[in-house]
Amino acid sequence: MPDLEHNPYNPIPMHIMQAYYESNDYSLKSFELSFDNREDCDEFFKKFNPGQFCQLSIFGKGEAPFGIASAAWEGEFIRFTVQKLGTFTQQIHQLKAGDPIGMRGPLGNGFPIGNWKGKNLVIIGGGCAFSTLYALTKHIQHPQNRSDFAEMIVVYGTRTSGLCMYKNDIQSWCQREDMQIHQAIDIPEEGWSHHVGYVPDVVKEVAPSPKNAVAVVCGPPIMTKFTLPILVELGFKPETIFTSLEKRMKCGIGKCGRCNIGSKYICKDGPVFSLAELQALPDDI
Amino acid sequence: MMHILNKKKLNQILTGWSTKYDIYAPQKVEDYSQFLPLGTADELALNEPHNTRFPPKSFFLPQSETLLKYDHRLKQLKEVVITPKPRIIFGIRPCDAYAVKLLDTVFDTAEYTDPYWKAKRNATLLIGMGCNDPCQTCFCTTVGHGPFNHDGLDALLTECQDNYFIETFTEKGNKLFSDLPAATKDQQRQVQEMQKKAAKSMQPAFDTTNLKQNLNQSFDSKYWAAISESCLGCGICTFLCPTCFCFDIVDEVQRNERIRNWDTCMFRIYSLEASGHNPRPTRKERTRQRIMHKYSYWIDHAGEIGCTGCGRCIRNCPVGLDIRAMLRAVNTFESETVNA
Amino acid sequence: MSETIVKLKTEIERLLNEDVIDVVIAFKQEDSPLRPQPAFFRNVAELEVLEYNSLCQNNLANYLTRFPQDTRIGIVVRGCESRSVNALIVEKQHQRENLYLIGIPCHGIVDIKKIFKKTGEEVTDYSENQDEVTVIVNGKEITFSRKELLHDSCLRCIHPNPVDADILLGDPLPEGDPNIARQEVESIEAMSRDERYAWFRHEAERCIRCYACREACPMCYCTECFVDHTAPRWTESDVSQAGMQAWHIIRAFHQTGRCTSCGACERACPMDIKLTYLTEKLNKDMRELYEFEAGLDSETQPPFASFNLDDKKRFIV
Repeated sequence: MPDLEHNPYNPIPMHIMQAYYESNDYSLKSFELSFDNREDCDEFFKKFNPGQFCQLSIFGKGEAPFGIASAAWEGEFIRFTVQKLGTFTQQIHQLKAGDPIGMRGPLGNGFPIGNWKGKNLVIIGGGCAFSTLYALTKHIQHPQNRSDFAEMIVVYGTRTSGLCMYKNDIQSWCQREDMQIHQAIDIPEEGWSHHVGYVPDVVKEVAPSPKNAVAVVCGPPIMTKFTLPILVELGFKPETIFTSLEKRMKCGIGKCGRCNIGSKYICKDGPVFSLAELQALPDDI
Repeated sequence: MMHILNKKKLNQILTGWSTKYDIYAPQKVEDYSQFLPLGTADELALNEPHNTRFPPKSFFLPQSETLLKYDHRLKQLKEVVITPKPRIIFGIRPCDAYAVKLLDTVFDTAEYTDPYWKAKRNATLLIGMGCNDPCQTCFCTTVGHGPFNHDGLDALLTECQDNYFIETFTEKGNKLFSDLPAATKDQQRQVQEMQKKAAKSMQPAFDTTNLKQNLNQSFDSKYWAAISESCLGCGICTFLCPTCFCFDIVDEVQRNERIRNWDTCMFRIYSLEASGHNPRPTRKERTRQRIMHKYSYWIDHAGEIGCTGCGRCIRNCPVGLDIRAMLRAVNTFESETVNA
Repeated sequence: MSETIVKLKTEIERLLNEDVIDVVIAFKQEDSPLRPQPAFFRNVAELEVLEYNSLCQNNLANYLTRFPQDTRIGIVVRGCESRSVNALIVEKQHQRENLYLIGIPCHGIVDIKKIFKKTGEEVTDYSENQDEVTVIVNGKEITFSRKELLHDSCLRCIHPNPVDADILLGDPLPEGDPNIARQEVESIEAMSRDERYAWFRHEAERCIRCYACREACPMCYCTECFVDHTAPRWTESDVSQAGMQAWHIIRAFHQTGRCTSCGACERACPMDIKLTYLTEKLNKDMRELYEFEAGLDSETQPPFASFNLDDKKRFIV
């Protein structure tokens, strides 16, 4: 008989610990999930790496992939920030503390943090795709991890200030000495003292140095499309620029065939790819 | 060792096996043959001019399969892995058997084993029937296989006049036929010559030497729009293909089940994202995905072409598209446009 | 038939040379002699592979909805195709001014599945004339009368002549007998309820949801078909009885008043399902209830797209 614990299609039972809106238009909501079973929790954190994702599952509504928006040291829970867009995300938005939910993960490769030791980190995010970069930043900020890396610059742009996620944390980041944070909104607002403009332009303005640096870019496809060339112009080599890709997914484990770009599956070989790897893949995104 | 079995005694052998195994063999349904549970040997359709309409991959990856059942009390999904009674797929063609082996590289990997696939695989023996008269639409030799290839089979039958000659390749296959007498050296030689002749009779359908390269290089070329213009975008080629495996997972609320169904990269909604963006918005991109997956990406994943040349896509395409011609065209398309 | 090809080639050459149209939709012969393929000709050099014979089994009107409405399209139309073109024009899927209809009176489509059933072997060559079809099997010639090989839809055909054409290549043929289709439907109607359900169930259970019937049909042009909807979810997508039966019934209903009995759906089906028995029943109902046949002209609205005060309402409970 197959080993029941290893059925990769069977979601792990979880419960919602807390749920709160991130954006003023209620389109973005964060959920913190706790494990029903201790063994599942231990197994999860053994494998977890920022940049990975999970398939969240509600029976009757389906499953969808969401990037993990928390660092392991934050506690024995996993945070996801969900944008209300379709049938399934509408259903998730209706969940509240105490509701059960299924989770399969951690899936995907995550950011190759091990290779970034000693490097300067340039973290660039836009919109709701910032969630995994938030996880990455939180992970690095932990005293045990911070000294492994050199300078950290974060650029985070949203359409409006109301759509900015993780506001409390981002505000406290402005006070930190071990990192620079550059916030941006698309059009000017009263009371906004940070950058105004699209993320690619802000990156050009900030002009991070490519020397001993890696850049991570996560955002809507249009933002990524215009940001990557700017980094290349600034002198970043394609092997040092990373991005996280998205495509429609179902199994999340490289079996259903759906999420491929060329011969790479985003769920299994990604979602994190370097620009060098992307350049070797066909334009199928 | 090659065994010999008089055709008239096949019924006896099958009856003997049926105490321990469920036996499936090709039988006639309407105007085509299909793998069905065996009644008596008289119903067997082992010599139809074409392969079974439906590929035997459905024994391991059924078109619709329940993965999980929802328990309302626990508010949880519980898995439903069915281990079938030990069974024999009898009369499977070498191309279809090798296709199952190719699918193992998808479903049974070091990182994740698909328990549904594995349970069925472990319970199944594949007893093959070689092809004395390969069809016009067969091209197994072009993609590195052959009408009497045994890779993926537990045993292989070759029909010669009044007898079947049996070669066994695994322990399980051995056990099934161990009581049968051995063929004489002369008979063995005759059978081997017949097998070679059948393979030789098949002309190469397209050149695979630089195929992957040519496909990769033509990713952005006009070739794809040209060859896919008449394609209907239905699912026939992918559903009847023994190596296609893409599936969709849906919740059937009224039955409290999470099921998986065959899906196809030829449908528009296959890669349609919630935002409305579709990386493959037209037939041209979808045809490109299908062909590149089979003849390029499969090589990256499994080291070989993901097609075993069974010809079902050619015979059943409603608009007569022939993948052999499409691949011949990609080999010459780039050079033609370069020289033009 | 080859005379027709000559005439067809001449006309298409003229259309291309005189820049009357941007593309001509016809058939070509490239790979197998038994499988002519729909083709899109944009210049004269491509016409070398032009084909027209009774194995040209696809409804070319299916491809009209792939082109923007301002594309000038030449298209070969036989009887049912010309009615499909009209039905599409009625539904504003194309504009008549941008279409050049090359009409060919149709002797019927030969069903290759019937050839295979009779020969049971591999056919390597094919030729035909008005009355007979000759195939080569294992080096031997076998001849059949055309009638024994015609596709079932063609045996029932009432209108073999294009109802509208800018040019007609060939002499008009006599209209068919409308009773044949009617009698076939009546023979199923005459079955008991259980027999009819057994028939329906038998046909539907073979379905593999490949949707070839939908893709081959010129009237199925919805960007998103009802089976692909998830909110709301109309049918199950798996191969359960309920899902398959719902698919067949609802697709047939969506064809009511629009189906031109071309049979392309049945010819496309890889599992040999007799799809047309449902649409023929609905076509019969349209004739009897509303005296309507789809595609006879390019203006009359189908009954389910229009309302008259004296419409029969007996099916409304």
